Amino acid sequence: MKKIALAVALAFAATGALAQEKTIKIAGFGAKSGVVRSFGINSEAAMLAAADQINRAGGIRLADGSKAKIKIDYYDDRCTAEEGISVARRMAGTDALVGVGPTCSNVAEPLFGILQKRVGNASDSGLQFPIFTDVAIKGGLAQISEWAFRNVPNEMTMYSSLFYWLKTQHPNLKTVYGGVEEDFAHSRATWYVVMKNRAEANGYTVAGESKWLLADTNFATQVREMKKANADIVAISAHPFSTCGVLKEMQRQGVKPKLLVGLTSTSSLETMQGCAKQAEGMMIPTSFAPVNKEATAAANATAKFKGSADLHSMAAWENMFILKQVMESEKLSGNPKDLQADRRKVRDGLAKLRVTKGLLGDTKRTDDREADKPYLFVQARGGNWVVLHNPL
Amino acid sequence: MDFYFGLAQIIGVHTLIGLSAYIVLLTGQVSLAQAGFFAVGAYAAGMLTVLAGWAILPALAASALLGAAVACAVGFPALRVKGLMLVIATLAFGEGVRLFFFNFDYQVAKGGVKLGPLGGEGFRQIRYFPENGWTTMDVMLFIWAFVVLTMALLWWFDRSRYGAVLRAVGEDELAAQSVGLNLTAVKVSAMTVGGAIAGLGGGIYAHYTTHIEHASFGILLATFAIAYPILGGLGSVFGTLLAAVFVQGFLVEGLRFLGDWRNLLFGALIVVAMNVRPRGFLDAPTLLWLKRLFARTGGGSGAA
Repeated sequence: MKKIALAVALAFAATGALAQEKTIKIAGFGAKSGVVRSFGINSEAAMLAAADQINRAGGIRLADGSKAKIKIDYYDDRCTAEEGISVARRMAGTDALVGVGPTCSNVAEPLFGILQKRVGNASDSGLQFPIFTDVAIKGGLAQISEWAFRNVPNEMTMYSSLFYWLKTQHPNLKTVYGGVEEDFAHSRATWYVVMKNRAEANGYTVAGESKWLLADTNFATQVREMKKANADIVAISAHPFSTCGVLKEMQRQGVKPKLLVGLTSTSSLETMQGCAKQAEGMMIPTSFAPVNKEATAAANATAKFKGSADLHSMAAWENMFILKQVMESEKLSGNPKDLQADRRKVRDGLAKLRVTKGLLGDTKRTDDREADKPYLFVQARGGNWVVLHNPL
Repeated sequence: MDFYFGLAQIIGVHTLIGLSAYIVLLTGQVSLAQAGFFAVGAYAAGMLTVLAGWAILPALAASALLGAAVACAVGFPALRVKGLMLVIATLAFGEGVRLFFFNFDYQVAKGGVKLGPLGGEGFRQIRYFPENGWTTMDVMLFIWAFVVLTMALLWWFDRSRYGAVLRAVGEDELAAQSVGLNLTAVKVSAMTVGGAIAGLGGGIYAHYTTHIEHASFGILLATFAIAYPILGGLGSVFGTLLAAVFVQGFLVEGLRFLGDWRNLLFGALIVVAMNVRPRGFLDAPTLLWLKRLFARTGGGSGAA
């Protein structure tokens, strides 16, 4: 009798253990190699840190009341379209419920293109796998597919607000000169569609623009053009690597504009590590700065996983908590046989969201699955990004 | 399984661009223009299905023809030079094509959305396959049908008088000319066939990625194009296929789990492969050995 009781007890214990061992897999993907590798490294660290925090708090509650731990798998897409598509197919072939990424807009665009355009359209054989983007920021990409969602800042709003504020603070400044990393989808779109447009809309005269490529290392000609234009404000739409190259060349040629404006992605540690002295005074609108207890804690947690906190990696952090909320509210089964149904629930849950909680405050969700995130202006001072102004 | 079908799609398209360089290499010419022909095919096929509403087969036929026409036009002036000068000339052409598409805007409003190439931002929504209900397996089979046809054509060329002429020019131009071969005609014809294959590959590429932009057709793709036949060996068309499987299947996809180390290993393994097999995976002795092996196996089963 004792033996039977022991066997029953062991069986119950085993069942309990099995229930405890349930996992929810979330796949992250982005560039972990190449010029923009820091984006992928930081996003992965933020996702791991967030998953660790969620798991420590018990994990994700499933429909049957049990709890599942989150497991993160992160894939390197090398910032190339072909590899991004391959990674997406690989993720969809695993038991991952959702993908968080990519880091590059030139990957996001083709990747969203292979997803099913309209949910439930049986004649569209596109991939049915939810993607929740943290970094790729080029405007309007989520409208490509109803399986695509983004938690990236709205650059149009941010730069509109920045140039408006600059106009009120420095009414004597009249001209803007642009510098654009021409071969990178995000930088290019941000200069031509956002910065240039918003500067002109706020009464500035655009005195010209210099163009370079992401992997360029010599900026002498471009900076000479910039010097010749002698504009009051220089607005650089480029990532940290080439931004630093240009800033150093500006210093060498003695180009000192009255104000420097940078690309939102440049408000990162990489810029401070690469050219803190030359970037001194640069102003950037960003959706993250460690300005409150929660944001500081997230930055510290990410640092433990060898990543740095910036507007991109902290979007990955936020995505993890938003996904937890969605998974719990949509009551996932967590069983392998329900994988596709659970993916659909995640998608539908993300689509229902109207407001999400972010590190700087509430983020509004738009009908086209984009985010309207809170933001502030930061400035490079003494090797750090310090908050210059909070327009909200 | 979709992932493996997707990987097979990538290998198929890379095999096509490798084969486009293979036929040019047979004449002893190193062309870095294949990425340019590939880009021409990609944009042409994409515009035909998205903007003109063509079906995929005529669009691919047009992209192959356009690739061939451009290659033929480029071939006449470019093939007047050889060796390193030809490499520079074809590289300049490839870059010229890339920069053309970098500045090429042609958008048409369809269903309230503007579609078509938009300069540096590329050309999105080339969704013929998903919009027509093609599964990943369908697309893979479609691509491989073209790969098999192209390989069969080149294999047949290799066994025909034309193939012998190509190899004769590749081995010794002076000797070939002394027996009455028109070098320009031979080289330009190889370039034209290569352009057609690259144009076809580009047309397919545009449709499986759904988005193309100038950066996809740069020097890296041109280098891959000539690396496949060199790595695989010029003894047989199967060498190019083997190299595309090795690079895309093993080095790019198989080693993804290694993270940052993958890039380091990528170059190192290619150097190792070139040292271990300096005349390619399928060089003449290997082909001979394989032929004997198959003949022996075939003979053995026949006797039984």
